[in-house]
Amino acid sequence: MKHTIRRSALLLAALIGLSPAARAADDVVTVGACQPITGRFAFAGIAINAGLQDYLNLANEKQLVKGKKFNYVYEDSGYDTERAVACFKQIMAKHNPVIMYGESTGLGKAIAPELNSRYKVLYASASFSSELADPKTHPYSFISGPTYSDMFGVLLDYIARNKGAARPKVAFFYSDTEFGKDPIPFARKRAAELGIDVVSEIVTKAGAVDVTSEVLQLKKTNPDYVIFQGYILSPIIEVIRATKDFGLKTKFMGTFWSMDKGIIEKLGPDAEGYMGVNPYAYFYDESAPGIVAMRAWNQKAHPDVKYQPNSYIQGWFTGMVYVEAVKRVVASGKPVTGENLAAVLDTIKDWDTGGVTGKVTFVNHKAGVGRVYRANAAKGIFEPASDWIYSK
Amino acid sequence: MIIGNHKESYASDEAIFRTPATRAWMGIAAVAALVFPFVAGDYLLYLANLMAVLALGALGLNILIGFTGQISLGHAAFMGVGAYATAILASRFGLPFWISIPAGGALATGAGMVVGAPSLRIKGLYLAIATLSAQVIFEWIFTNWTSVTGGIRGLNVAPASIAGFRLDTDERIYFLIVGVTVVHFLLATNLRRSRWGRAFVAVRDRDVAAEIVGVNLFRTKILAFMVSSYYAGIAGGLWVYFTKVVTPETFPLSLSIQFLAIVIVGGLGSIKGTVYGTVFMTLVPELLKAGTGLARVVWPTAQSYLFPLRDVVFGLLIVVFLIFEPHGLAEVWNRVKRFFSLWPFEK
Repeated sequence: MKHTIRRSALLLAALIGLSPAARAADDVVTVGACQPITGRFAFAGIAINAGLQDYLNLANEKQLVKGKKFNYVYEDSGYDTERAVACFKQIMAKHNPVIMYGESTGLGKAIAPELNSRYKVLYASASFSSELADPKTHPYSFISGPTYSDMFGVLLDYIARNKGAARPKVAFFYSDTEFGKDPIPFARKRAAELGIDVVSEIVTKAGAVDVTSEVLQLKKTNPDYVIFQGYILSPIIEVIRATKDFGLKTKFMGTFWSMDKGIIEKLGPDAEGYMGVNPYAYFYDESAPGIVAMRAWNQKAHPDVKYQPNSYIQGWFTGMVYVEAVKRVVASGKPVTGENLAAVLDTIKDWDTGGVTGKVTFVNHKAGVGRVYRANAAKGIFEPASDWIYSK
Repeated sequence: MIIGNHKESYASDEAIFRTPATRAWMGIAAVAALVFPFVAGDYLLYLANLMAVLALGALGLNILIGFTGQISLGHAAFMGVGAYATAILASRFGLPFWISIPAGGALATGAGMVVGAPSLRIKGLYLAIATLSAQVIFEWIFTNWTSVTGGIRGLNVAPASIAGFRLDTDERIYFLIVGVTVVHFLLATNLRRSRWGRAFVAVRDRDVAAEIVGVNLFRTKILAFMVSSYYAGIAGGLWVYFTKVVTPETFPLSLSIQFLAIVIVGGLGSIKGTVYGTVFMTLVPELLKAGTGLARVVWPTAQSYLFPLRDVVFGLLIVVFLIFEPHGLAEVWNRVKRFFSLWPFEK
């Protein structure tokens, strides 16, 4: 009886994370992750997790960093900030990693005080919020790609380069959330600099579907471009269909989360001409060696997978940055610690990712590069409409 | 074996912890609570702090729903009012936590008074919708009154400090959070035995009868709303110093629903039940997570089924509890206690 109690107590302790932090051997680099595998962000979380894990496995197999093995541990955090913070602390206590991955902007903000003062590990997340791309307040965090502001910068740049005789008219269409509002102040400023008129700003609830009054407003201002921010699918699809019914010639653009192949499938023929910015290449890209290698890995690791969404590539690219940072720290002969990893981030300049994204230069812990793609409704894919554009 | 609880003096009649066994257990619990932060890891400590804050908020809702029978779907918003007031006073005016937290509680009390005013005229589902609108309105204010609330990005707050000693780690803030929570639980226990507490229960059981025996309905209901929001406001203030950041997305409708679930699962009108409910609603998902984590070791491909399954199991557990014990976990506990108080001599 006594033994049973002891054993169950031990088991329980192990379960809930009382067990002492495992001392990692010198040749092992532990990467921890709190991924939103359940909850409303699961559509991306599962893919991000797979991409990150796959790249670290590839790095181990190909020995991308001599003498180091990556050990990836992840937990589900359910896209809930409290659970995610608990997950972060649990992984830190149990595995003592030097690199962490987090699910959301919320987690990035909530963990920041302790990340800066106690944990001091390199941290990236699924968030593109410009708030986290500030080395002063978030010295250990980086954005694995451009921020939403940079994405707007890329789109506005594209509009300015492809304008006709008249000043282009743009409308911003965004949700009443942090995700929606994050890039808007920068976008207003940048549009003014580039000589683009922002003729209307429309704000809705995040999942709004009744868009009649918003579409009427678009009809009144008749912008050349509408840029969506802070949505995944709804109400982008509804707005595009409704404006087509009104016979408007407006072109529609989205940022990362509304640039996956799925939106073309949902829109059908209405997708023709839909554009947007994606910081990464698509899984079916034939010209990028980095993507070809990714497909080869997938064929071996998951033979039945024919397509991987953009979030997978986001996770994969984050893995690439982790590995590159470790490589640089090892090359400098310093120990692999969060502080040293964060310090080498801004030494990454004109880094060739094999076309997974443009040449990467980290400034302020973010890589402000993206490419404008246009939907080809007949083929059901996005095709490049520009080269890689660097946000100013 | 206890065969009776004889009260031979006024003191023993007034005691909160009545039997030597209860007093001993409470003593043990107090010592355990004091030792806990020094032996627990970060993860458990974080959960303990989280549960203490949630329990305090939930107790407020239990006073309103369980004691007084008034429903509210806007409880998270009151917590938000307290949190924002505390954060603004601390970050903009540099006030110390021992002023900003009570001030947050006071402001939330005021908000509760306003929102509770319609409760004289409307009851039940109608009141639920009225309080729901409070939730929506406050959330809108948190998001859009940018100059005061910091808008969608919210406010960052420096750690609480007392005479230069910064409560900046989970261990240190634990004593503040748990201390404040324990004091408020004792206050609620006493409130229930007071004239006002009995008036609350009278209004809950039959408001017309209560009015006939001289209970001022309006004043009682408003007071219940005020006390309830005060608790939420204090919980919000503690929340601010616990997480050091406050955003509008911290206090959504789902948090109000979570409070409701805590109160119902724990036991309506039971103070102990509030604690059990909070522990259940916070720890069970974590234990299920740990369980699926173990299953993953032996069955790695099953993660895509196991993770979502956890939410299903959690939902089912709540339903099963409600069917087999509508009085909540507090009653389950009482039954277990009764069983063991006679064991092994039960009939």
